[in-house]
Amino acid sequence: MEYIIKNGIVFDPLNKVDGEQMDICIKDGVIVESVSEDAKVIDASGCVVMPGGIDSHTHIAGPKVNTGRLMRPEDSYKDLYLKRGLKPGTGFSIPTTYKTGYEYCEMGYTTAIEAAMPPLKAKHVHDEFVDTPQIDKGALTLFGNNWMVMRYLKEKDYELCAAYVAWVLKTVRGFAIKIVNPGGTEAWGWGRNVHGLDDPTPYFGITGREIVRGLGIVNEMLGLPHSIHVHPNDLGHPGNWKTTIETMDCVKDIEPKPKYGERETTYYNAHVQFHSYGGTSWKDFVSKGVEIAEYVNKVDHVVVDVGQITLDETTTMTADGPMEYDLHMSTGNKWANCDVELETGSGVVPFYYSPKGPVYSVQWAIGLDIFLNTDPSKVLLATDHPNGGPFTRFSRIIAWLMSKKYRDYWLNEKVHKWARTRSSVGDNDKEYTMYEIAQITRANQAKVLGLSLERGHLGVGAIADIAIYDIGPEEKDPKVIERAFRYAKYTFKNGEIVVKDGNIVKEVFGDTLYVDVKIDETLEKELMKDLEEVFKKDYTVQMENYKVPEYLANNWKVIQIDNSEIS
Amino acid sequence: MEIILTLREDITVPVELDALLPEKMQDMDVEEIKNIEVPQGRTTVKVGEIFDVKVIESDIPKMTIKNSSIKLKRVGEGMTTGEIVIEGDVGMHVGAEMKGGRIVVNGNADNWAGQGMKGGELIIKGNAGNYIGSAYRGGYKGMSGGLIVVEGNAGHEIGEHIVGGMIHIKGNVGYFVGIHAKGGIIRIDGDVPGRLGAEMIKGAIVVNGKVSEVLPSFKYEGIVENPVIKIKKKDEGTKIEGVYHLFTGDYVNNKPKGQLYISVASNPHLG
Ligand SMILES: [Zn+2]
Repeated sequence: MEYIIKNGIVFDPLNKVDGEQMDICIKDGVIVESVSEDAKVIDASGCVVMPGGIDSHTHIAGPKVNTGRLMRPEDSYKDLYLKRGLKPGTGFSIPTTYKTGYEYCEMGYTTAIEAAMPPLKAKHVHDEFVDTPQIDKGALTLFGNNWMVMRYLKEKDYELCAAYVAWVLKTVRGFAIKIVNPGGTEAWGWGRNVHGLDDPTPYFGITGREIVRGLGIVNEMLGLPHSIHVHPNDLGHPGNWKTTIETMDCVKDIEPKPKYGERETTYYNAHVQFHSYGGTSWKDFVSKGVEIAEYVNKVDHVVVDVGQITLDETTTMTADGPMEYDLHMSTGNKWANCDVELETGSGVVPFYYSPKGPVYSVQWAIGLDIFLNTDPSKVLLATDHPNGGPFTRFSRIIAWLMSKKYRDYWLNEKVHKWARTRSSVGDNDKEYTMYEIAQITRANQAKVLGLSLERGHLGVGAIADIAIYDIGPEEKDPKVIERAFRYAKYTFKNGEIVVKDGNIVKEVFGDTLYVDVKIDETLEKELMKDLEEVFKKDYTVQMENYKVPEYLANNWKVIQIDNSEIS
Repeated sequence: MEIILTLREDITVPVELDALLPEKMQDMDVEEIKNIEVPQGRTTVKVGEIFDVKVIESDIPKMTIKNSSIKLKRVGEGMTTGEIVIEGDVGMHVGAEMKGGRIVVNGNADNWAGQGMKGGELIIKGNAGNYIGSAYRGGYKGMSGGLIVVEGNAGHEIGEHIVGGMIHIKGNVGYFVGIHAKGGIIRIDGDVPGRLGAEMIKGAIVVNGKVSEVLPSFKYEGIVENPVIKIKKKDEGTKIEGVYHLFTGDYVNNKPKGQLYISVASNPHLG
C-alpha cells in the first residue's frame, strides 16, 4: 500500500524539521523518498504532522496493573469504551487492555513501554501485551532489588552481573534495566525501607549508590539500547530533591556505549516530579523543580520524564512497596502489596489528587516547573500512567505547556494557592512550540530508548508510524489544543491508517520489542552454575518454567546485540 | 403528569429502568414512552412490550409502577425531582445516585437501595437488602445526603462509607452497620448482631434495640441522656430522645470521631 500525505506542516525534531510544509511518502510500512501515481493521497493541509507518539514510561500490563483493575470496580464504572466493531472496555485510570491500545492510538501514539516488569511475572505482562492492540510494546525489567544483582554487585563482579542481566532480558524478553527504589523494595521485605543513597539494605549490606552505579556500568558493558531507567530512593518524600541530584550525579563518569541506537545519555530519571520535593515535611513542602531542571540542563548524561500530576482520581502502583504502604497509611485507602520472591515487590493504592488539596496542587506545579525550566531536548512527557494521572490527559498537559493563559487559569482559578506561592510556575512565561511538543512526546523518547533509527522520526527508512493532528502550528486556544491532541485526525501504524477523525478504523496488533545480548560462552556457563543453584534452592519455579515462550507476542521484534567479547 | 406503568406479567430476566425518570418523560406522549428502549439482560426491550402505559394529570412529575417485581432494577437512579411510587417489590439500586425528589416502595427492596444517594427521600415500606446507602462497589464515597427510611428489616453493611444524610431502619439489621462511615447518621430501631461502626471515622449510629457486642476498638464514654448529635463543628445538631451508652471509635483508625449511641434499656449488659 502506498500513501502520500500532502501539504502537512511537519514537525520532526530528529531530522531538524520545524514546521516545514512538505509531503510524506509511505510504501510497505515505511517512509520512502517517493511513491507511484497509484498512491492514495491524504490531504493534510493546515494540519500538524508528527511521528507517532512514544510513551517511554507507562504501566499498562502485568500483575500490578491487573491487581489495580481487580481492586477498583469503581474505576471501571466511571469510564466505558463502547464503540461499534471494537472490543468494549472499561476503566478510567486502569483501562482494560484493548481500551488502552485504542486510546493511545486515538491520541496518535504508536509505541508504549511498560515501566516495571518483574522477571518472574513476565508471562503475565506479555500475555496482556498480546491483547493490547494498535501499539508496539516493550517492558522495562526490574533489577534494582534482585538478589543475584545485589550479590554480584556486592562482590563487584560486573561481568557475572552483566551476564545475569543479559540472561534475564533474553529469557523473559525484557527491553531494558529498570531500577526502583534501589535496595528499598528488598528492605520492605524486612518491614523497612532505605532512605538515602548510602543507606544499606538489610542482609545484603549494599547501598542504593552501589546498585545504581553497578547497573549503570553493566548497562554500558552490555551496550543496551536504553540507559538504566531509574526511580531513585525517597520517592514522594519532602526534601528528596537532594537524593535525586546525588543519584544522578553518582553515574556521571560512566560513558554511554550503546551497541544499538544513538543514545548519548547514561541515566534516565523516571517521573522526576515525584523526586523534586523541597522542605522537611508536608507543612513546609515546596517545589525544587527549578533546581532539578538546572542540574539536568548543566550535565550531559541525564534525561528525565516528568510524571506530571493531572489532578484526577487515579490508581498508584509501583514496585516501591514501602512507598505504597506509606500512602495507604496516610490516606486510609485500600492497599494491595506483593513480594516477588528474589526479585522485587510492589504495592497498589487508589489516590485522588484533588485540585483543592494544597500538597497535590504543589505536586502539579512541580511538574510544570520542570517542564518550563528544563531544556526541551532533555525532558519527556509522561504521567507515569496511572500514577500521576491517566495517559488520556496528555493532551491537557500539552495545552498547559503551550498556553500560559491556560496555565494561569488553572493556577488562579482551579488549584490551591500553594501552587502559586510554593512554585515559580506563575512567573514563567514560556510557551512550548509545536517543535518542542514533538521533542517531548516523540523525538526524545525514541532517542533515549535507542529506537531513533526507526522510530520517532519521519526520515526515509523510518517505520511509518505517523500522527496527523487537526490543528494549526500557531494555535493557542487550549480547548482546540486539548481536543486536537486527544483525537488525532489520522494515525498511521506501520503505514496503515488505523485512526481517522479520532476513531479506530482498523484493528492491528503491534510488535513486542525485546533485547537479546549474546555473551561469552564460558561466562554464561559460570552464570548457569550459580543460577541452577539459586533456582533449586530459592525459587518456587523451575528454570524451564521461567522462560517466556515464543507464542506470547503478536510479533517479536528482537534487538540483537553481539557482546561475546566481554568475559 | 403522572405516568402509570403496569407490569403485564412477571418477568424472569431483569430489566434496568434508569432511563425512566418522571422528570425526563414529562413532554412525552404514551407512544413515545412505549417506545423507550431499556436493557433486559444482554439485549433490550421496549417499555410497551412489558408494561401497560397510561398517563394522567398530576401537579408534579410522577411515575407509578404497578404490579412491580424484584426484577425491575435501577428504578429512579439519578432522579432529581418529582415522585416515584412502586406498588410491589423492587430490584437492586432503587434510588441509586438520587439527588432529589421522593421514592416510595410499597413492598420490599433488593440490595443497594439508595447507593451513592446525594439528596431526596427514599421510603421503603417493607424490608430491604444489603448495602443500603452504600458506595458503589469498591468505591469510598457512600450516601452523602438525603433520607432513607426502611420500615421493615434490612441486611448487612447498611450505610457503608456513608458521608452524610440519614438512614433510618425501623426493624432489625445485619452485621457491619456504618462500616467505614465518614459522616451521616444511621438510626436502627431494632436489633444489631454486632460489628457496628467497624472502621468508622466520623458520623453517628443510634441503636434502640439490642446490640450483641461492641467492637473492642471502641471506647466507652459513659451514659448520655437525650443527646444532641453533632457531626460537623458548625452542625446545629440532631436531637434524639432516650438514654444511651456512648462509645467513640473506631480506634483502628487515627483520631476517629465516630459515635455509637446504644440504648441503655435494651442493653443492660453493656457499659
Ligand atoms: Zn512508573
